[in-house]
Amino acid sequence: MGELGRVVRIGADQLSSFDGHPPRRPQPWTWVRGALAAAGISGRALVISAPAAWLTLFFLVPLAVVFGISLATKQFGQPPYSDLLTTDKGTVQLTLHLSNYLKLIQDTHLGENFWTQFGVYAVVALVAFWLARGVSKIAQPAAVAAIYIVSIVATVLLIATLYTADLNVYLTAFLSSIKIAAISTFFAVLIGYPMAYAVARAPDRWRNILLMLVILPFWTSFLLRVYALSGFMRGEGVINNLLGIFHLGPLVMLQTDFAVYVGIVYSYLPFFILPLYTNLVKLDQSLLEASADLGARPYRTFLSVTLPLSTSGVVAGAMLVFIPAIGEFVIPSLLGGPSTQMIGRILWDEFFGKTNWPRAAALAITMLFIVVIPFMLMQRAQNAVLEGRR
Amino acid sequence: MRRSIFLPIVAGLGFLFLYAPILSLVVFSFNANRLVTVWSGFSVKSYSDLWADPQLLPAAGLSLQIAAIAATIALILGTLCAIALVRFRKFRGKTILRATVSAPLVMPDVITGLALLLLFVGMQAVIGWPAGRGVLTIIIAHSICCMAYVTVVVQSRLTDLDLSLEEAAMDLGATPVRVFFDITLPIIAPALVSGWLLAFTISLDDLVIASFVSGPGSSTLPMVIFSKIRLGVAPEVNALATIIIGVVSVGVLIATVLQLRRPRVAKG
Amino acid sequence: MAKKPQLAADTRPWRDPNVKPFVRIRDVTKKFGDVAAVADVSLDIYKGELFCLLGGSGSGKSTLLRMLAGFEQPSAGRIEIDGQDMSDVPPYQRPVNMMFQSYALFPHMTVSQNIAYGLKRDGMPRLEIESRVAELLQLVKLAGYEARKPHQLSGGQRQRVALARALAKRPKLLLLDEPLGALDKKLREETQFELVKIQETLGVTFIVVTHDQEEAMSLATRIGVMNQGEIAMIGEPTDIYEFPNSRFVANFIGSANMVEGVVTEDEPDHVRIRSQELGTDIYVDHGVDCAPEQILWWAIRPEKIVLTRDRPGAQPGIPDGANIVKGFVEDIAYLGDMTVYQVRLDNGRYMRVTKTNALRGDPNAISWDEPVWASWAGSSGSVLTN
Repeated sequence: MGELGRVVRIGADQLSSFDGHPPRRPQPWTWVRGALAAAGISGRALVISAPAAWLTLFFLVPLAVVFGISLATKQFGQPPYSDLLTTDKGTVQLTLHLSNYLKLIQDTHLGENFWTQFGVYAVVALVAFWLARGVSKIAQPAAVAAIYIVSIVATVLLIATLYTADLNVYLTAFLSSIKIAAISTFFAVLIGYPMAYAVARAPDRWRNILLMLVILPFWTSFLLRVYALSGFMRGEGVINNLLGIFHLGPLVMLQTDFAVYVGIVYSYLPFFILPLYTNLVKLDQSLLEASADLGARPYRTFLSVTLPLSTSGVVAGAMLVFIPAIGEFVIPSLLGGPSTQMIGRILWDEFFGKTNWPRAAALAITMLFIVVIPFMLMQRAQNAVLEGRR
Repeated sequence: MRRSIFLPIVAGLGFLFLYAPILSLVVFSFNANRLVTVWSGFSVKSYSDLWADPQLLPAAGLSLQIAAIAATIALILGTLCAIALVRFRKFRGKTILRATVSAPLVMPDVITGLALLLLFVGMQAVIGWPAGRGVLTIIIAHSICCMAYVTVVVQSRLTDLDLSLEEAAMDLGATPVRVFFDITLPIIAPALVSGWLLAFTISLDDLVIASFVSGPGSSTLPMVIFSKIRLGVAPEVNALATIIIGVVSVGVLIATVLQLRRPRVAKG
Repeated sequence: MAKKPQLAADTRPWRDPNVKPFVRIRDVTKKFGDVAAVADVSLDIYKGELFCLLGGSGSGKSTLLRMLAGFEQPSAGRIEIDGQDMSDVPPYQRPVNMMFQSYALFPHMTVSQNIAYGLKRDGMPRLEIESRVAELLQLVKLAGYEARKPHQLSGGQRQRVALARALAKRPKLLLLDEPLGALDKKLREETQFELVKIQETLGVTFIVVTHDQEEAMSLATRIGVMNQGEIAMIGEPTDIYEFPNSRFVANFIGSANMVEGVVTEDEPDHVRIRSQELGTDIYVDHGVDCAPEQILWWAIRPEKIVLTRDRPGAQPGIPDGANIVKGFVEDIAYLGDMTVYQVRLDNGRYMRVTKTNALRGDPNAISWDEPVWASWAGSSGSVLTN
């Protein structure tokens, strides 16, 4: 009982000191806390207010300023826009110009019956989509698929209607930005999903290396990567040199919309892969085994287990590609041709070329409204990924 | 489960797509010919061109300074933001803060750049600060977009951090501030490092926002590079790109090795 | 203050109405949103006790513990420790330490840094800290492990570091959240005894949260059984097992055969219950607070029932035909130390009976499909009115 004897000694001898903690040493910052507490400020409030104030001042307020200036008009001078508030003999006058927004739709010739067609297709597309979602749990899969197909056909017709109209340069640019962003996002998903899946399912020792390979381009300069791509696709670039060996080509790739698609997919691929990877790697392997055990073939397991469980990862990743792609400036100006009109480029020209700040501001506000829906989608998906929900 | 051959092939092609252009850029930076896309022998001429270039190196120095300061501001504010979002129970405006901090992550650069420029011009007119645009305005602008990245990185690390570690420290007599410096900070340190590096890279890389908010004499590296490559091939840019890619690869490689060798923190 | 000789009365302060409780929990409720995790709990715990809070997951036992530590604030009610109201005392100022279920060892600190952490916060001189840490390591038998990091330790060693760290500040009250939960069965049994030994020698009051009833039975001076946020029963281990106060406690602790019945005789010295479910009358040889014709429940532990091949003679004091029922053995589970019989009664109900295997390889043991008689004494079962 030697050991126990020792135990007793510590215990019994010092039991008297058991009855209280020793007095706390005064901390130098105690009075600071006291002073703050007296003023009604908690540490929590300080932690929240520093980033919140910074974000408000340099992110939310600027967006409001943009909105304000979009209601001004261009004038010569410094700064090159009219004041919204003018003082005239003691009265303050507020002048708001909607001309910048009107300019965005001016000179557009819609075809006959444009709005009728547009309205019908839009309503059909939305109602069919809503209906299909609503009945997806109760109706026959074939019926649900049929309703979805109706919705998709209506959407396609809706888009076709847009192209029948004779749009002005701004609307064309908006439309083509959305088109380019959507097509590029589609290809990013198509290429990125198998990559993310392969990385997530790779053996442990390979996974970290593959993940590093996905992240590495992320760390190198975006601008230089676009430049590398332009060198790759140029008239006498690597691809055409390779084709030349087989007496093919040369293909004209640079300065086309195709180059812009490739550029966007190339630059934003890691942004798509990473959130999806985070999602897929959390996927419980035993779910797949359970599915296989219940007799599902691998592709069936993928369609009915993996894909539905990774939707929020796909949505979050796709939005990380789609939203910035809409306003992309560098890629269309380095890879696209003169006909590649994207809204980011138009805004840039409006601002730097024509020094029309109010028009640029109106374009920015309009663009904000276009990205706000995908942004909200992304927020929802991202919260789902972060919290492990699906 | 039988592994299909489809997946490795598609993934392999994906990686080829990601890396082929970069590798060709690196290879052709050692090309003797000014026409950079036809191989005509090994040379380091591009590198001596780079060394002699009057614009690129000073711009690189300026960009490094801006990136370091902007990343540090972003690190502090982004970490505070992540703590507020992960650790604080519901407070008024939490959802708004969450949305606002991640908005710059996807906000098209042209909008952010334009908005900040208009703010700075307006502020100058009303309160006289900032006087003109230059390094200071670029730093402020970059800190905003970089903050979003720091917040995301730190947020995910904090979410994984076992809450009972912080409770244990508090139970042993540490005040909340003390707990943060003794327990939370050392454990999330790797995330802080990668958050800072990410912010640094993003700032170093930004062309669009810097173009809007910079002033005369404050051309950053991407601005100089863009003006050069807009006109076509620029061998000295190839050389610079190779150096940057080399530095980044070595850095990422070291980080990965360190991470692999670090013992896994046992859970439970 | 040396520990008094362990006389029965001294070790059971809860039986002495004059002793002031050390921890007083009064009408404490904790709501998360609309859900009450802890509902109106009142509980007194006395100095030197080893009190176990026993309950299933979601019973509110951990929430109660976290309120004692100060990590959660009660929605209503108050908590006093050593006569001091804890309402506005933050966790870092409470005279309480906690051992976490996950151990919560700081991964970036060594074993001795972990143990010394709380002492440093109190501003104890360095030399004193060093000797205290050495003593504690000795106490938990980990001398020589000072410089290890937590991830270099086995599960059992980590558990002991966590214990040493929680004891380091010599708290008046130690809270232990599933202290043995992460250990395997063998290690758990060894550690149980060590934990009790340390608690007795140091004289600290322990409150242990556990879901393992065996652990609670072997550790505790008293057990508080929790169910859906409420305390179902407080009592010494024998009370909880032998005299459960409700159907929940009888079912939750150990296993019990429980039947519904109607009171047919209600006398001060005995009660007779007619049970359709059992197919016989139950004679209870003590008075019960009930009324004739009242419907109530009767529970009996499997080991209190005797199985025989032949009908046993009438027991003294028990009317013929009561406390005996006929059936046949449908299933047998041999567990080594004892055997569990699943007896099918004539009315189709099942009864569970256990028998200690006192004889080695008993050739005469009751086997499958044998007709048997099950009987029990008048004091063997518990009458439950709620």
